[in-house]
Amino acid sequence: MPIRFVNIHKAFGPKVVLQGVDLEVADGECFFIIGASGVGKSVLIKHLIGLLRPDEGDIFLGEEEVSRLDERALYPVRMKCAMVFQSSTLFDSMTCAENVALPLRKHRGMSMKEAIDDARRRLEKVHMQDFADAYPAALGDGMRKRVAIARALTLDPEYVLFDEPTTSLDPVSARRTDELIRRLCDEFGVTSIVVSHDLVSIFSIADRIAMLYKGTVRLLGTPEEFRNTEDPIVQQFIQGRAEGPMEV
Amino acid sequence: MAFTARAENVSPLAALKNVLQDALAVARVGRRTMHYLIRGKREPGSVARQMFAIGNQSLFFMCITMAFIGAIITFQTGLQSKKLVPDFSMIGATYLKLLIRDLAASVGALPLATRVGAGIAAEIGSMVVTEQVDALRMCAADPVDYLVVPRFIASVIMGTVILIIGGFVAYGSGMLVAQLMFDVSPHTFTNLSLVTMGDLVLGVSKAVTYGGAIALVSGQRGLATFGGSEGVGWATTEAVVGSCFAIIVLNLVISTIGYFFVPAL
Repeated sequence: MPIRFVNIHKAFGPKVVLQGVDLEVADGECFFIIGASGVGKSVLIKHLIGLLRPDEGDIFLGEEEVSRLDERALYPVRMKCAMVFQSSTLFDSMTCAENVALPLRKHRGMSMKEAIDDARRRLEKVHMQDFADAYPAALGDGMRKRVAIARALTLDPEYVLFDEPTTSLDPVSARRTDELIRRLCDEFGVTSIVVSHDLVSIFSIADRIAMLYKGTVRLLGTPEEFRNTEDPIVQQFIQGRAEGPMEV
Repeated sequence: MAFTARAENVSPLAALKNVLQDALAVARVGRRTMHYLIRGKREPGSVARQMFAIGNQSLFFMCITMAFIGAIITFQTGLQSKKLVPDFSMIGATYLKLLIRDLAASVGALPLATRVGAGIAAEIGSMVVTEQVDALRMCAADPVDYLVVPRFIASVIMGTVILIIGGFVAYGSGMLVAQLMFDVSPHTFTNLSLVTMGDLVLGVSKAVTYGGAIALVSGQRGLATFGGSEGVGWATTEAVVGSCFAIIVLNLVISTIGYFFVPAL
């Protein structure tokens, strides 16, 4: 089922962030959203799972309009659509296994023991089984991120939203994360929306890219189309030049 | 919260509107808290952890504070009594009635609000700005059920216990001051003749209500945090100010009800 953002507007008090964003993400696609910091990339994807509500506009997950569902009606949406947050967001008072087990207990009603056993198996997939009983505070950024990815994938979601998944990772871990995201799309048909600044990731695994600028979509296209565009703002961004027409 | 500096340069009417909006927001969190209190499922150990944080870790601070408050009140009362009716035989009895009926709960709840309210708002606020609360919502865990309800239960139970212990400490320090400064023996000071069951019910009702109010106001402010670490600072300030304000308003309401149903003799 495709995801559609239709004419999304969002402001926080006087600060206008999104001013009419239209996007469509196809089934099984690895879709990147790029843009300068503070342009509203994370804000946009949080609308899909009801963590934020648009001031105006509609969001469709398949045929279902999800932007106006209440918290309880969003639970099925959040079972299908997981999110890996920028700062991992593991719960400090729980071990890694307990963190991964939480969605199983809450969404699927599993007992603590069943959920923990399942969580240990899922931690193996991200090579974190040895740290199942460790608390997040004892782990490095990269390890926490892997546990967060395991937690997001716990419910076998159809859609995964990644908010800067490679930020704060070393280059090797970052490329492994890229591989994982690509594998989710290719092998499991998962639709991934990735918010990222990481140009290596963007040009190595993206099917399509949307660049947000001043609250709207500046350019939507394949990595090849981004490389070949003559838009000076897009070129400045993807070349990472300090000088240019882009206003930050 | 409309009382803090973030609301400066606001007209009195707008400030009043903000206060009412804040009160409504707290009421909404209160309604959901009651819902989950009945229908929610607690995480194992979550209430016990909060009871330790709210109870044990506040006890020493509250005992010291209440000891000073009890000593000051008795000293000032004694000084004034000395000028008017130089008879200290009933000083302990009146002090005890006042303490049970109002002061132990209402005065004690203010320092308790600074200690407990700030802690709750800072912890929940930090979870909001680091997106942990969003992650909770993604796990189908309502933040009110998961974060506010255990703190509410713990605050009601341990807040009441601590305020009662604080009352005993304040009475003890008052007794000491009465003996040292006004030669009132502990035997004379320990006079229960004025205390009624109604006074006890009124005092405990206040302690229970304040414990709940501190958790609800602070939990709501924590959940409404925005704007990074500065936002957590504001939420903490607002939680303390809001909790103290709620305690004063609730004191007026409960005391008024008590005036009609449990009159002070």
